[in-house]
Amino acid sequence: MVSISLPWRMESQHERTADRYRAGVLKYAQMGYWDPDYEPKETDILALFRITPQDGVDPQEAAAAVAGESSTATWTVVWTDRLTAADVYRAKAYKVEPVPNSTEQYFASIAYDIDLFEPGSIANLTASIIGNVFGFKPLKALRLEDMRFPVAYVKTFDGPPTGIVVERERLDKFGRPLLGATTKPKLGLSGRNYGRVVYEALKGGLDFTKDDENINSQPFMHWRDRFGFVMEAVNRASAASGEVKGHYLNVTGATMEDVYERAEFAKELGSVVVMIDLVIGYTAIQSISKWARRNDMLLHLHRAGASTYTRQKNHGISFRVIAKWMRLAGVDHIHAGTVVGKLEGDPNTIRGFYNILREPYNPADLELGLHFDQDWAGMRKVMPVASGGIHAGQMHQLLTYLGDDVVLQFGGGTIGHPMGIQAGAIANRVALEAMVLARNEGRDIWNEGPDILAAAARTCQPLMAALDTWGEVTFDYTSTDTPDYVPTPTPA
Amino acid sequence: MTDTAAELDLDGALAETRVEELLTTLDTELVGLVPVKTRIREIAALLLIEKLRAQAALSAGPPSLHMSFTGNPGTGKTTVALRMAEILHRLGYVRKGHLVAVTRDDLVGQYIGHTAPKTKEVLKRAMGGVLFIDEAYFLYRPENERDYGQEAIEILLQVMENQRDDLVVILAGYKDRMGRFFASNPGMSSRIAHHVDFPDYAPEELEAIAGLMLGSMQYRLSADAERAFADYIARRRSQPNFANARSIRNALDRARLRQANRLVARRGSTLSRDDLMTIEADDILISRVFNEDADEARAPVGS
Amino acid sequence: MRLTQGTFSFLPDLTDDQIRAQIEYCLEQGWAMSIEYTDDPHPRNTYWEMHGNPMFDLHDAAGVMVELVDARATFPRHYIKVNAFDSTKGIESLRLSFIVHRPDPEPGFTLERHEVEGRHIRYTVRSYATDRPQGERYP
Repeated sequence: MVSISLPWRMESQHERTADRYRAGVLKYAQMGYWDPDYEPKETDILALFRITPQDGVDPQEAAAAVAGESSTATWTVVWTDRLTAADVYRAKAYKVEPVPNSTEQYFASIAYDIDLFEPGSIANLTASIIGNVFGFKPLKALRLEDMRFPVAYVKTFDGPPTGIVVERERLDKFGRPLLGATTKPKLGLSGRNYGRVVYEALKGGLDFTKDDENINSQPFMHWRDRFGFVMEAVNRASAASGEVKGHYLNVTGATMEDVYERAEFAKELGSVVVMIDLVIGYTAIQSISKWARRNDMLLHLHRAGASTYTRQKNHGISFRVIAKWMRLAGVDHIHAGTVVGKLEGDPNTIRGFYNILREPYNPADLELGLHFDQDWAGMRKVMPVASGGIHAGQMHQLLTYLGDDVVLQFGGGTIGHPMGIQAGAIANRVALEAMVLARNEGRDIWNEGPDILAAAARTCQPLMAALDTWGEVTFDYTSTDTPDYVPTPTPA
Repeated sequence: MTDTAAELDLDGALAETRVEELLTTLDTELVGLVPVKTRIREIAALLLIEKLRAQAALSAGPPSLHMSFTGNPGTGKTTVALRMAEILHRLGYVRKGHLVAVTRDDLVGQYIGHTAPKTKEVLKRAMGGVLFIDEAYFLYRPENERDYGQEAIEILLQVMENQRDDLVVILAGYKDRMGRFFASNPGMSSRIAHHVDFPDYAPEELEAIAGLMLGSMQYRLSADAERAFADYIARRRSQPNFANARSIRNALDRARLRQANRLVARRGSTLSRDDLMTIEADDILISRVFNEDADEARAPVGS
Repeated sequence: MRLTQGTFSFLPDLTDDQIRAQIEYCLEQGWAMSIEYTDDPHPRNTYWEMHGNPMFDLHDAAGVMVELVDARATFPRHYIKVNAFDSTKGIESLRLSFIVHRPDPEPGFTLERHEVEGRHIRYTVRSYATDRPQGERYP
C-alpha cells in the first residue's frame, strides 16, 4: 500500500514528462491529480467529496488521492499510462476548502472527463466514483456530498418511466398530494387478511397502499397469494369510489428472473404500479425501469438500506446523490423524507432532495446542500414519498414543507385509527383536502392549521378521533445530516 | 349616525382608498383637460359618497357606472380610462381594476354563430375590470341589417345590465358619431350613466405636452425652436387628421431624427452634452407643415 | 354512492363562494380555466365533454362563474368539473380539477368479475349510468 508521507523528489511541476513516468511511487498531486488552475468543462462530471485526512496528510494531497483512486491511478507509476491520453483521463481535484465549523474536514471538488464513463450506466458510474476510494487508508473518512451531471451525460439515461405529470394524468388526480399507507403489520398477515387492509384503506379514501420493503414471498404469504387478493381489493375500492386506485406490489426477488416474473404477473392483474427495494442494486433498478417503461407501469422505489451510508455526515454518500442517481436510473417514486416524521430529516436538506427529484433545473444553493447547478434537460420528475411517523394533525406542516407533488404515507396513522381503517383513511383525506382548500383560499395554514383541522373535524367524526389520538405526537430530535452552510443572521 | 361620525367616515374612506392620490396623478400626468378632470373628480366623489351612504343604509339603488368618453383622437381617453379603472378598483366598484381595450374586430365575428363566443370571451376577460370599446359606434351598421354587430350589442347590453358588479363598460369615440349611435340605440344610451367629453387641446396645452414629452426623453427646445414649435402647432392644428397629443409625439419624433441627422453632418467637430440634448429651430422648420405649397390633404397623420 | 374524483370530493359540496375562491387562486397562478361535464364518470373516462373552449387570460373568477351557471342550467343532471391548466414547460398539464356539480342520486359503478383460466379474475369497472343510452342516464 502507498505511504504518501514518504519524502519525494523535489522537482518543480515543470519536470520533464520522462521523469513523471519513471518507475516508482509519486505523490498523487505530482502525478497531476491536483490542478488548482483547472477550469471544469461543461461536459465534465463533477463530484464534491467531504474528506477527513489522516493526521499529517495534506488536504490537497488527500483530494488528489481521491481523484486518482476514483479515476485512472494506482499506487505506483505505470509506464502503460503513456499508451493513453492520460492527461485527459486523469480526474482533477481543482478545489479544496475547509468545511465551515470543522477543523479536520475539507470539501474537495473533482472533475471527471465524460469519456471515463459508460453512457447510461449507474453501475459503471458508481464503480468509479464510490469504487475503491472509500476504503483508502490515508483518509479517516470520506463522504460523497454532491455530483453535477452534464446534459450530455444526463441524456444517455431514460429517466423515470412515468414521471410526476404523467402519473397524475394516468391517475386523474390533481392539485393535492397523493395519499398512501403501508400495510401493517409488516410481516405475518395471510394474503386474504392483507387484502382486507388494502380494501379498507383504499375504500376509505387513500390513493395508494403499499407493500413494505421486506414483504416478498415468505411462508405466511407467497407473493402470488398477495397479488391476487390485493388486486381484488384495489378493484373493489375503485368501483366503490369511482377513482383510480393502486397498491405498490413489491416485486423484489432473489434473482432478476423472479423480479420480472412478479412484475409480469402484476401487470396481468391490472396493477398500475410495482415496487422495488434499493437493495436489489443499481443494475436491477435500471433493468426493471426499462421494463416499467415498456409496460406503462409506475415504478416505486423503497430506499431500503440507504440510511446505512447516507445518515452520518463524515462518511458515506449523501442521499442527495442517491436521489440524483435514481432520477437518472429511472424510478417514479422514491422515499425522500418527511421533515416532521419519525425518520431523519432536516428541513433544508430535505428540501434539497425534493428539488433534485422535482425541478427541471437545480441552481446551486448551499443552504439546501446543493453544491452545483444541475440541468435535468427535460428528464421526467420523480414523485417523492414522505413516510414514517406522520399523521393527519401535521397536515399543515406537511403541505407547507413538501408541497403538492408528494405521496404522503400514513401507515400507522391510517391503520391504527381507533374507529377502524376506513375511518383512518377518511380522516387523512378530509384533513388533506381541507388544508389544500384553505391554502388556495389564501389562508395562513402554517399558523391557522390546527384551527382549519378542528373546523373540518366538526363535520368529520373520523378526523376528530384522529386529532384526539395523535394530535400532540411529534418526533423532535436533532438531525444528523444538516447543511454546513447556514445563513448568517444580518445584524439588526 | 351623527354628522361627526359621517365626517370621520369620509376621512377614513379617503385615506383607505387613497383615491386622492390617483386624482393627483391624473392632474400631473395629463396637461389641461380641466373639464375632464372635473368630471372624473365628481364621479369619484359620487362613488365615494355612495359607499358611505351604503354603510349608513341609505340607498339610491346600485349605481350605474358605465361611461362614454367622447372626443377627438389623442385627447387622453385611453389614459383617463386606465386611471378610471384604478379609481373604480380603489373605491371597490370593480374587483381587479384592469382595462381590456377592444374594437369592433375583437367582438364581432365573420359568420353566423361566431359573434356570441367572441363577445363573451372578451367580456369574461374584462370581468373584474373595465372594458374599453374604442369607436364603439362601428358595432352598429344600420346599412346592413344582417350585420353581426347587433348581436354583440345585445350581449353587451345584457351583461351591462345583469352583471354590474362584474365589469364597467366605457364606450369611446368621436362625439358626433357617438351621438348618432346613442340616438339609434336607446338601450345602450339609457345604460350609460356618465358622459365625459374630451375637448381638443389649446395651443399652449400642446406646448406643455411637448415639454413633458421632451423632458421624459431628456431633450429640450432651444429658444428659437420653442418659437418655431409654437408656430408649427398653430399650423398643424388647422390641418386635417390632427390628433392632438399623438400628433405632437409624432412631430417630436421627426424633430429628433432631424437633430440626429444634423449632428452627424457636423463630423469633425466635437459635440457637447448640450448639443446632444438640444433641438434647434431648424429641426422643426424643415417640416412640410411650413411648406405653403404642399398639398395639405396629402400630409399623413401627424406629419 | 359519492364519486370522489377531483381535488375536494371528500369535503361537503363547495359553495359558489368557495368555488370562486379556488378559481381566483388558479387565475393568480396564471392557469387557464375550463369546464367539463359528463354523464359517464368512469374512473378512466378521461375525456369529459368540454363546455366551450378553455378560458385564457381571465382576471376574475366572474368569467368562469358565468360559464358554470350556464353549464348547470344546461346539464342539471350531469357531473360538472372545473379544471385549471398550467402551460409551464415541464408541466403542461392540469394543476387543479374539482367537481362542482353532481347528479342526484349518483348511480355509481359495478365491479364485473370475469373468471378466466386458472382461477384468475379479470376485473371491469362499469358505470351503472351507461346501462341507459346517452341523454337518458339520469332520469
